Amino acid sequence: MTRSTALNGKSGPARVAVIAAGIISPLGCGLAETLASLQAARDCITPVTRFSVDRCRCKTAGQVPDERVVVERNGRRGQRLHRASHMMIAALQEALTQDRQFKPDLTVVGTTSGGMSYGEDYYRALHRHDDLRRSPTWIANYPPQKAVIDAQEAFGISAPCEVIANACASGTNAIGHAFDCVRSGRYQRVLTGGYDALSELVFVGFDSLQASTPEKCRPFDRHRTGMVLGEGAAILALENFEAARARGAAILAEIIGYGISTDNFHLTQPNPSGSGARQAMERALESARLAADAVDYINAHGTATPFNDATEGKAIGQLFGRVPVSSTKSMMGHSLGAAGAVEAIVCLLALQHQFLPPNINFRAPDEDADLNIVANESRPASVRTVLSNSFGFGGTNASIVMQQFKT
Amino acid sequence: MSLSIAGMGWITPLGAGADLVWDRLRRGDEAHAEKIAGQCDGQSYTVFRVPESALASLAPHPRLRRVSLISRFAAAAGLEALANARVKLDLKIAERTALIFAISNGGVIYTRRFYRDIVESGPQAASPLLFPETVFNAPASHLAAILGITGATYTLVGDGAVGLLAMRMADEVMTNDAIDYCLVVGAEEVDWLLCDAYRRWRLLRSEAPVEPFSEIAKGMILSEGAGAILLARGGPLKIESTHACRYYRKRADAETVLKQILSELIEAENDFVIASANGTFVDQAEYRALSRLVPEALVYTVKPALGESVGAGGLWQIIVASQALRHEELPPLLHAPAKIRLQIPALRMSVRRARAAIVLSCGLNQQIAGLRLALDG
Repeated sequence: MTRSTALNGKSGPARVAVIAAGIISPLGCGLAETLASLQAARDCITPVTRFSVDRCRCKTAGQVPDERVVVERNGRRGQRLHRASHMMIAALQEALTQDRQFKPDLTVVGTTSGGMSYGEDYYRALHRHDDLRRSPTWIANYPPQKAVIDAQEAFGISAPCEVIANACASGTNAIGHAFDCVRSGRYQRVLTGGYDALSELVFVGFDSLQASTPEKCRPFDRHRTGMVLGEGAAILALENFEAARARGAAILAEIIGYGISTDNFHLTQPNPSGSGARQAMERALESARLAADAVDYINAHGTATPFNDATEGKAIGQLFGRVPVSSTKSMMGHSLGAAGAVEAIVCLLALQHQFLPPNINFRAPDEDADLNIVANESRPASVRTVLSNSFGFGGTNASIVMQQFKT
Repeated sequence: MSLSIAGMGWITPLGAGADLVWDRLRRGDEAHAEKIAGQCDGQSYTVFRVPESALASLAPHPRLRRVSLISRFAAAAGLEALANARVKLDLKIAERTALIFAISNGGVIYTRRFYRDIVESGPQAASPLLFPETVFNAPASHLAAILGITGATYTLVGDGAVGLLAMRMADEVMTNDAIDYCLVVGAEEVDWLLCDAYRRWRLLRSEAPVEPFSEIAKGMILSEGAGAILLARGGPLKIESTHACRYYRKRADAETVLKQILSELIEAENDFVIASANGTFVDQAEYRALSRLVPEALVYTVKPALGESVGAGGLWQIIVASQALRHEELPPLLHAPAKIRLQIPALRMSVRRARAAIVLSCGLNQQIAGLRLALDG
């Protein structure tokens, strides 16, 4: 599927500006803490505390401490909200603080499991014949759209919500679709992002697949052994570039391309040729009308599983050669539905502050992939154009291209 | 919006096949109520299930070997929609076809089994075969693989309004003229755990029938199945507008939001309305909004006949609206109160003068959407 350059009968696609952003992740609460963690190459993976992992192979994750998550809002109602809702509220609050005039026409957010831990609470209580008095709260606050609606409600936003659950590509798919919606001229302002909160079911699921590691997360390392999970929420406010300029909004960066592909090889494994990943990246470049050599940095999906990194590495090597690459999941874990949005903000910070985010725990390059890994430390660089990848179960692959904006 | 319905397919508790189910609805048939038992406390629940015979014609495919029912339902409906449109997805067309999947509860059967093993025996008992099927986009992935779709595939999650939200998203995706078709599929499977959850939420009825628009909300009956609609540019059945409205904060606010949607969608007195009344609080909100804004419009809901299938429900409603416009007839509304003040088809009723249908979906968890479907010309 080639993306058309003449969308919706108009002469050309609209430019899409990022005018505000907010984030909460294991790297910190807010853009400033996130930037500091990235530049210092902090390892934010910690022993899991939310549930017992005694009988799991993997025992660590990137976690947002509870005291950073729960926002004192909405009184008693706020106490019933899932922590995913609180993370979304925190991220949205930061974004709206930057641009209080931003009123979205549409909200597009990615997630994989919504308020899953409430579903777990309910099932455990049911199974053990425990007290089920809280079950209506668990049930009502479990659905994936709830955290998005809660966050909107907290700030009086009433835009329609599209909640995309495309597994680990959800966040990038959400941003990509939001980008398309503004670019086509159909909407002026779209709120987008992703969220996911750590849950036992998902943690054990990846453990059962032996996709998660009992060791350090080492993306693209020759001796990588798997992923660690993470959590968080990230929000980006997108606006028609001209409209944003006209009202004097600060423009943080531009999104200039989006590519999506579906790899029908297997439910949980990418095509070993890397064709699905490559197709998404090619389509993103085509959408951005860029040649591969215009990209200065790639934030890779880089889960650190042997298979996924090999296919992504192959596709990146074929398309981009020796462009600097890192997987910031090494520092904070894989936050699934949030990952694409969190990593879009990592890219935004790289563009704004002119540095390459690091791929920590890296010891030796993979013999099969000749990649230019930003190993272990961030480094200053001229960064004008970046590409961010997210690939998920179900064969969903998504890439976005972002560009620096200079006044 | 300039999209048209090129093909449709559904698999429901009344069987499979666009025309077969329609004929049964017109006859006034109602799905067979079945009892299922909860595994934790022996509680029994009434559900409408898809009969096994309805899946008999689904061809085997390697992707369908170990999948849950929801994926089989989706495959059956999706393939029927393509056949109904006489569209064969070769490599070139598949590349220009998007898939948008609407889902609410998802693969709940495998998810429950997977987590039950963890609760009962610990993480080491968790099945790596089950886990991938618990992911929301697993059914969409299987369907994309069966159809050979390699471009845009999205799974949209939400409450009962998600089917209509998926139609709106399809409209957004098709602003890209590199896409010729968009297959919108909604699917759901039923399980005792879902029944328990909705019961505790006080939305479930213990016995059939579903009594729509009743003054006292007695609850809904859960059902399962899938609906699929192939959208294209051009054709006699046009999607004139989709209104993915704001969510409602409290149940008491649903009526206000429904009125906003209705006032934007209604154009002529002859339009009829396919409501989402399912025996819950939704009914009175719709009742008040409809009787206030369009007191003369004919109103029908398919949920007494097919049950509440949440993710598939919106697609079923659109298919009902399409069939009613095509056949110029509405099926009889089952189990409505005798003194209802809405215009309802107590028996099969002609809608020959209608050029358009309004579809309303009021979800149980804050989302409401509407859509206007019209015969071209």
